[in-house]
Amino acid sequence: MAEMEVKESGKKGPGVKKSKKHSTRVDLTPMVDLGFLLITFFIFTTTVQQPTAMNLNMPKDTKDPNLDMKVKNSGSLTLMLGKGNVIYYYYGDDPTKMQTTGYKAVRQIILDKKKSTPAADLFIIIKPDKDATYKNAVDILDEMDINDIGKYAMVDPTPDEYGLIQKTEQAGGVK
Amino acid sequence: MARAKIKRGSTSVDMTPMCDVAFLLLTFFILAAQFKPQEAVEVVTPSSVSNKVAPEKDFLNVTISKDNKVYLNMDPKIKADVLDELGKERNMSFSAQDKKNFENADFIAVPFSQLKQFLALTPEQVKSSIRSLPGIPVDSTNNELKAWISAAINARMGEQLNFLIKGDDAVKYPTFKAVIDAFKANDQYKYNLVTNSKQVPEGSELYKKNLMNQRTGKNE
Repeated sequence: MAEMEVKESGKKGPGVKKSKKHSTRVDLTPMVDLGFLLITFFIFTTTVQQPTAMNLNMPKDTKDPNLDMKVKNSGSLTLMLGKGNVIYYYYGDDPTKMQTTGYKAVRQIILDKKKSTPAADLFIIIKPDKDATYKNAVDILDEMDINDIGKYAMVDPTPDEYGLIQKTEQAGGVK
Repeated sequence: MARAKIKRGSTSVDMTPMCDVAFLLLTFFILAAQFKPQEAVEVVTPSSVSNKVAPEKDFLNVTISKDNKVYLNMDPKIKADVLDELGKERNMSFSAQDKKNFENADFIAVPFSQLKQFLALTPEQVKSSIRSLPGIPVDSTNNELKAWISAAINARMGEQLNFLIKGDDAVKYPTFKAVIDAFKANDQYKYNLVTNSKQVPEGSELYKKNLMNQRTGKNE
């Protein structure tokens, strides 16, 4: 179509100029390919970006110590969220025995605790400290969902625990 | 005997209609896609396995930016009532122009003392000065978010209000806690944290639970 043909003038007949007819058809296969590729791309990119909401229910603050929840020492696991995406955890009520872990490995620790404790006793205490981020808090709450933990609470660490975390951080050089 | 001649069909198919369809669909999807309006406060939300879609009606949204500033926006439908209520509670008077500006504003990013000046800004001015705006104070000494929430609750007169909290990954926990405290001071204990959805890890407890629910659902 869009080409000019210069014909070698090989005289064929008297006065008859035969012009060769070119096909007007273009192969559209690559264009179809491209079209569908783009469609697929748009569909995938549009549906994924849907913001979801995670439910968070907080307990009412109470000053009456009788209403405080009693937690069995044998069933409790305390996770303290520290600076630089580090988790400090301990079992029972002895923070001096705390150990260090990260956000990937914590799932196994929670699962092990869940297996070794009667379901009624299991209680996880989450204590994000001043240096933890919002992402840390959401991640750990998400972990509770993932591991199907029914009972957990989010509270502030005690000054003693915070002191311990800071000491560990200084010793470990976490910035 | 003459053999029947087998006609050789051409292997090439006319692709034109298919091409038409493809591009028609493409045009449709591009035009139908809702473009997300560029948000003035950029927030990278964390991800969670929750698959509940964030409510889009009757909401009060507290946004926390990565420099720990707190912004507030709400369902446009309730804005007028909230401003009236706030005026009553804080003894402030708003002109008709203020009210109109408030309904047009995307969010509130200043303490009460600067509210009127803030409302007088055009959206472009807000956008360019977003970094210098102080955000709503949430300290324990001066928690103005508390007053906003209280105004919103009273304006709704006990009707359901969804509290959305949209925080950036890098927000420090104390800021988040201050926001929660502002809600708690108003006796509100249920919140929706805005997150990106992510897949439930395979083999985890929740994954098994979901699978079980699916199976029992099918048997019924």
